[in-house]
Amino acid sequence: MPTETESAARADEQAAAGSLPPTFQDVIMNLQRYWAGAGCVILQPYDNEVGAGTNAPATTLRSLGPDTWRTAYVQGCRRPTDGRYGENPNRTQHYFQFQVLMKPSPDDIQDLYLGSLRAIGIDVDAHDVRFVEDDWESPTLGAWGLGWEVWIDGMEVTQFTYFQQVGGFECNPVPVEIAYGLERLTMFVQGVDSMFDIVWSRGADGVTFTYGDVYLENERQYSAFNFEVADTDFLFQEFNDREAECKRTLAANLPLPAYDSVLKCCHTFNLLDARGVISATERMAYILRVRTLAKAVCASYMEHVVGMKPAEEGAASAPEAEAGKGDAR
Amino acid sequence: MSSLHTLAFEIGTEEIPAFDLHKATQQLEKLVPEALVAVRVPHGDVSIHTTPRRLIALVEGVADATEALEEVFRGPSAKIAFDAEGNPTKAAIGFARGKGLDVDALERREENGAEYVFATRSVPARDVAELLPGVLEGVITGISWPKSCRWGTRGEYFSRPVRWLVALLDERVIPVEFAGLTAGKLTCGHRFLAPGPHEVARAADLLDVVENAFVVTSEQAREQRIREGVAAAEAETGYRAELPEKTLLEVTNLAEYPTVLVGTFDEEFLRVPEEIIVDAMLMHQRYFPLYDAAGKLTNKFIVVTNGDPAHADTIIDGNERVVRARLSDAKFFYEEDLKHPLETYVDRLDEVVFQEALGTMKDKSDRIVALAKHLAADAQLGEADAADAERAAYLAKADLVTNAVVEFTSVQGVMGSYYAEASGEGEQVARAIADHYRPRFSGDEPPASDVGKVVAVADKLDTICGLFAVGQGPTGSSDPFALRRSAIGILAMLEAGLPVSLMKAVDASLSTYENGGIDFDRDDVRAQVADFFVTRTKVMLRDSGASPDAIDAVLAAGVDEPAEVIVRVRALEAARKDERETFDDLATAYARANNLRDAQLGDEVDEALMGDAERALLSAVGDVEARAAAALASDDYAAALAALATLRGPIDAFFADVLVMDEDESVRANRLRLLNRFVDVFASVADFGKMAKGGK
Repeated sequence: MPTETESAARADEQAAAGSLPPTFQDVIMNLQRYWAGAGCVILQPYDNEVGAGTNAPATTLRSLGPDTWRTAYVQGCRRPTDGRYGENPNRTQHYFQFQVLMKPSPDDIQDLYLGSLRAIGIDVDAHDVRFVEDDWESPTLGAWGLGWEVWIDGMEVTQFTYFQQVGGFECNPVPVEIAYGLERLTMFVQGVDSMFDIVWSRGADGVTFTYGDVYLENERQYSAFNFEVADTDFLFQEFNDREAECKRTLAANLPLPAYDSVLKCCHTFNLLDARGVISATERMAYILRVRTLAKAVCASYMEHVVGMKPAEEGAASAPEAEAGKGDAR
Repeated sequence: MSSLHTLAFEIGTEEIPAFDLHKATQQLEKLVPEALVAVRVPHGDVSIHTTPRRLIALVEGVADATEALEEVFRGPSAKIAFDAEGNPTKAAIGFARGKGLDVDALERREENGAEYVFATRSVPARDVAELLPGVLEGVITGISWPKSCRWGTRGEYFSRPVRWLVALLDERVIPVEFAGLTAGKLTCGHRFLAPGPHEVARAADLLDVVENAFVVTSEQAREQRIREGVAAAEAETGYRAELPEKTLLEVTNLAEYPTVLVGTFDEEFLRVPEEIIVDAMLMHQRYFPLYDAAGKLTNKFIVVTNGDPAHADTIIDGNERVVRARLSDAKFFYEEDLKHPLETYVDRLDEVVFQEALGTMKDKSDRIVALAKHLAADAQLGEADAADAERAAYLAKADLVTNAVVEFTSVQGVMGSYYAEASGEGEQVARAIADHYRPRFSGDEPPASDVGKVVAVADKLDTICGLFAVGQGPTGSSDPFALRRSAIGILAMLEAGLPVSLMKAVDASLSTYENGGIDFDRDDVRAQVADFFVTRTKVMLRDSGASPDAIDAVLAAGVDEPAEVIVRVRALEAARKDERETFDDLATAYARANNLRDAQLGDEVDEALMGDAERALLSAVGDVEARAAAALASDDYAAALAALATLRGPIDAFFADVLVMDEDESVRANRLRLLNRFVDVFASVADFGKMAKGGK
């Protein structure tokens, strides 16, 4: 990367100002503290594979129903097909999102968000921060929302979305979701051009650990596993078993554990996709199977947790997503 | 006389999407005056000012009150309104109630000699300030958005959440309510440069207050500012910027206070094909690339920011980092892709769906190859060209699975041609791959070579036939596969001189689908596709100025090859333009002959029964018949028309000298047979009856 000089210049600038840029964990801790101050429940990451922070039940399921809910959490996300064996500075099969969900969306949410950027050392007045239209749609979840990607000096660092529907149900009140790409954001703050160069922690004795120290080997091994090693027969079977388990769990009116099976199906599908054993024409069928499960779980959650009998099917169905565009994230 | 006031209304929002904002601005230009007129508020000029975070309407010359009005309505006749005893009937009571009056208030008056009841209603003058909250709320809800949003606990919809409202009639606050907000005097400035809140003392100050807070309040003014910035950047660098309209509009509506900055990237990236760099900058980042005097891409680019110009260096630095990351990716992808010959990507096309019912892009590739082979043979391409067409068809879609195209979709085709060249494919093959998406829009250049045209026609026709086969032809405004554009592209290529039969190609295409196991009613689909092309041909001809009667005249002659229809319509129009009178007369005569025509009589004429005018016409018809046939045989439609034109004299003389409906039946029949022959001469050229006045 032909960039050390400028990165160094930025770091020097900050060092001269009497402070080193925040480490990766500083960024996380500052965001947690900030959003805790805004009244959010700081959760720990969900202990199941998810493709995005949105898919953790604290967002997907808790978006449903009339109750107030506010949370913020770090979520490790897995996207097997994005693996690059640790050779691409911007793309990995595992990365972290910082997820905020507030329902109902507060009136000053944009200012709250900008405050969070200040809290991690970004002087928003000295940069070009813009809200660029980017609507969100998850065909697998029967969910969609309107919002933006937030750019800082042209770099997309956050997805900002007002959820309109989840699981085919109108969101009422409307939650707002803020999803920060932690690596992108920290690369911006630290002025580095490879995520593996991110300083994760810095001890008082000067001993530092980089993102590469922590995760590079992980990327190499998981890329190889995802693309070359994962047992496809096992995965096909797992998909079927998890699908059956989901239905069985739903029959027992237990949407929360049933949702775990949906997440397992998603991840299994993603692994099969990475192994290249799902043909383009089969993809749609798998996505539809996951969607059917996800919608059923949301309906069950509405009935058994929220306590609202779902309205007539179809009365509130999401605009259908373009076929093939969907992933099972 | 009351005094006049200025009304200022501002809807403050979170960032509205750029294109939606543009459309909303246009709507407001109409919506605001209409809303005022609807409740009869006297007013002067209305002006609309919009930015991503606000929609402003200013209205001059707003009166204090609406004018009082006396409205008189005539009701039923007195006979119906009152019974024999003079009591009001149900009809009278209903009429009065409909006008909001008591039945006693009805008056009886004579009009045009009959007596009726009348209702007089006076609408009092109304205080405009009291009407305005409703009017302005109507404006808010009257805007239609492509997508609209709910937020918080509110049930209202708007493009994005509404966060503040300002409504002032001079100094007086108009308390418009919407989504839990009540309008007041406080506005906001630029999000970072002067956030506010700022107080607006009176309506006439609103624009000044906002503009002083670093907000350029109209699309035109922001565009102007951007264009000036670009011109300055061009002067500074000595380069020239390209400003595609769509991206320009987008950046104009992505900032309240746009500033133009120039960034640089490392020259090493210029080794990556230009198209990828441009795609990365324009599509992904909304940067404008800069070109040198020779038209070559340079390593400088233009950024339009919404940031504080005082921090230009920081902002440029950040944007340059983004470009660097993007271009590193692009370079990496490009170099990765080059490691394998283009051919090796073809098999992976089975990972990409073309259309759910029609299989993958690999299936499509196979069909395009078969169709290209058919077209090359039909066009009688030489052996080498035919082989190139087949090869290009085979490779045309391969780049869809290369890294560069997956990442930067707009470079499909172009990348394929780079990879083809690098893989040692012939130049013509590479060129045809790049060109096979052409023409991309109406008026775009078709592929230069016949080989390129063959592949482009094969690709487009395959899509059209396939989608019709599975019942996914375009309907109304829905044409997700852009079949209409594809059809127009095919027509343009046929018109540009690709000598093939469209309907034979349609047959060949439908066969590839049948062979591929797609189940459909072949005759029905063929007819639908033929009809689709006829319609497109008509539209295309009409758009290019051809008159509908000439198009109908040619179509009525039974021509179903669009290229032939186009050539004939053009020739007919040209001939008619040169000899207007001849063709008008001929059309009239033809229509007359055609009306008299009696097919049952046949066309065996008896010369012995003829007079001079008849013999002259017969000889002319015979002559023209031979000339027209010869002309059509050599595809010289203009000559065929010229031949027809010579019939004008003889047919005019015939009708002038001869009474067709002679009392002698044999003479009459003979004359009708002659007219049959006359009409038949036209049959294979054009139906002139369609061009006769009143015959349309």
